[in-house]
Amino acid sequence: MKDVMGLIYTGENDIHLGELTSQRAVAALPIAGRYRVIDFQLSSMVHTGIKNVGVITQKNYSSLMDHIGSGREWDLHGKQGLTILPPFLTRDNMGVYSGLLDALKSNLTFLRLSRQEYIVLTNSHTVYNIDYTDALRQHVETGADITVMYTRASRASTGTEGGDDTYLTVAEDGTITGMEIGSATPSSDCASLKIYITKRELLRQLVEQCAANGMHHFGRDLLQRNVNNGSLRIMGYEYKGLACQIDSIQAYFNFNMSLLDPEVRRQLFPTERPVYTKVRDDLPARYLGESQCSNSLVANGCVIEGTVINSVLFRGVKVAKGAVVKNSIIMQDAQIQEGAEIDHCILDKQSVIRRNGRLIAPAAYPIVIAKNVVI
Amino acid sequence: MRKKQCVAMLLAGGQGSRLGILTKKVAKPAVPYGGKYRIIDFPLSNCTNSGIDVVGVLTQYRPLELNAYIGSGSPWDLDLSNGGVFVLPPYQTGKTGEWYKGTANAIYQNIPFIEQWDPEYVLVLSGDHIYKMDYNAMLRAHIQNGADLTIAVREVPWEEAPRFGILNTDENNQITEFEEKPAHPKSNKASMGVYIFNWSKMRKYLELDEADPASENDFGKNIIPTMLGQGERLFTYTFDGYWKDVGTIESLWEANMDLLTLPMPIDLYDKRWRIYARNPGMPPHWIADGAKVVDSLITEGCEVRGVINHSVLFAGVTVDTGAEITDAVIMPGAVIDRGAIVRRAIVAENAHICAGAVVGEETGKIAVVGPKATIAPGDKVAAGVQVDADAQ
Repeated sequence: MKDVMGLIYTGENDIHLGELTSQRAVAALPIAGRYRVIDFQLSSMVHTGIKNVGVITQKNYSSLMDHIGSGREWDLHGKQGLTILPPFLTRDNMGVYSGLLDALKSNLTFLRLSRQEYIVLTNSHTVYNIDYTDALRQHVETGADITVMYTRASRASTGTEGGDDTYLTVAEDGTITGMEIGSATPSSDCASLKIYITKRELLRQLVEQCAANGMHHFGRDLLQRNVNNGSLRIMGYEYKGLACQIDSIQAYFNFNMSLLDPEVRRQLFPTERPVYTKVRDDLPARYLGESQCSNSLVANGCVIEGTVINSVLFRGVKVAKGAVVKNSIIMQDAQIQEGAEIDHCILDKQSVIRRNGRLIAPAAYPIVIAKNVVI
Repeated sequence: MRKKQCVAMLLAGGQGSRLGILTKKVAKPAVPYGGKYRIIDFPLSNCTNSGIDVVGVLTQYRPLELNAYIGSGSPWDLDLSNGGVFVLPPYQTGKTGEWYKGTANAIYQNIPFIEQWDPEYVLVLSGDHIYKMDYNAMLRAHIQNGADLTIAVREVPWEEAPRFGILNTDENNQITEFEEKPAHPKSNKASMGVYIFNWSKMRKYLELDEADPASENDFGKNIIPTMLGQGERLFTYTFDGYWKDVGTIESLWEANMDLLTLPMPIDLYDKRWRIYARNPGMPPHWIADGAKVVDSLITEGCEVRGVINHSVLFAGVTVDTGAEITDAVIMPGAVIDRGAIVRRAIVAENAHICAGAVVGEETGKIAVVGPKATIAPGDKVAAGVQVDADAQ
């Protein structure tokens, strides 16, 4: 079953990620010590055998483009490979998508020109390492029109009140009989992962129909309406592995911290399905002198002379002598200078905590230091 | 194929038998070094950084791992439409066909490859050394001197000169005499085995050499002395950066330990002269609560619960609680179980040191646990011993 293409939508609402996504899409957010969020969706597609992947971009996509490049790191630089689909201005499209449905409508040409029979459509703010093969098999075997992947997490997302978290009512035979969008008190624990499998041609028709009827919300207008009126066979596929939505600062923080557990890492980074990312060619991390490190993830290129506890250090981070880093997430090339101390902080790329600086945040509310900021 | 000013030929066919168990199944240039590299990353990265984008890699001994590692050449930006890296094993022609008989013969057999690029100059490299060198600067000197052959040299301590091929020169660096391992050296300029030839001259002397049945078909023993005897213009080019032969167990171990000194004698942080390597794509390494890491290099994919002191850990190494690693080089995927002790040792790829085993000693020669070898619980490996998985 390799007659499948992939499409990643990166235009999600990221308001709850604050400063972290002010200059980049969620898809380009650094995560897990050396990756960007989109690495997980791309790698999952590649390990499923998908060779034709489109990435729909919306705002601030330069960092995303820089990261993905030709797609070579994911072996997507082939004849079909990776297609980046940036927004564009036409007479009836201002280049700003109001959501997934709108974005699909603008990219119907890409769907039309692709050759594969099936399509896996995913969002870019859920971190997972999924081989879609089994879900595709179920999709074909059940003859579903659309398969929606879901997880039985009690609450898959964290802290996005009033968002469009979607909960599914799934009948015994897997048919989705109800959908609740943005409910504060959902009546089901089947949280949609917003990963959809369908036929490429059907998706194209549905998008065209919705557009013709002035509809613009993928969840409400394309899915929910068809669930309610029963005109399409929409099935659920329960994914039992790890999947985490990165939709708030707290969720981002908690997810990174969860990786300090070797079991979580084994689920997310199985040896047979590595997660690919842009390579930086740093040398291994270097520990010098009186450095102390415990329960932390450290990427290549780091130089550690101080103390690091319960933290995640991305590539090229420097922790100077006498500096103390606790319960923090430090992105690429940030520096914590001599004698500085931080606790419960998220330092964006290239930020600097100057000598003897102190930043201690409460556990429930990690502080974000924006990119390039010097404190 | 468009014309190139200079193509590089990298001699990667030797076994490197002095590395013992480490090169029993792989060619020397594929031997891991420095936590994330292989030896060949250095000449390949030097080529790319010097703007030399045609590299022929001459393989003969155990080439599979090396070939897989080189692949399309993309980690070194050598996957090009016009140029790139080419693996060149010996091949049959008509009714004949033979192994590479010597360094010069290896190049001789690849004259058609070189001719494809119609180059002015040919750079000859080996896959035995750790160094960062701008070959383009050497090429400029070669052109400026109007040389037929330029030999890269480094000035070694006088007492060590008798171990090397020594080049005696005049005040303009023109070579007047070549002495292989002289007892009483007149110069301390030791050949690095890095040569730039004018292609037309090189071709001529390769063909002459091939016609001589008595020749050993070796650059040092045959080609260079012949060219000197014929009055060709031979010059030295002095390289004064870090240069380390990693042809023996002890020197490979030392070269790894060099990366732990301050300041690092070879600057691998230099963004203008990156050393590229194929990346195994592993998550960041994890240092557990209760682990201790002192003066060490640790690579992505490692899980460390024990004590690491003055050591280099490659990608995906696991060190369990209570294990102690000191002055050691632990290659990719090796597993060190609970309470094991490793001192002054090289533990090769995917080796397994079981609980309570002791590898190496505080003094004496370096102990080596070969690829995929297992040291049983409580067993001891003495200094200087090499453990071969096939003999187990």
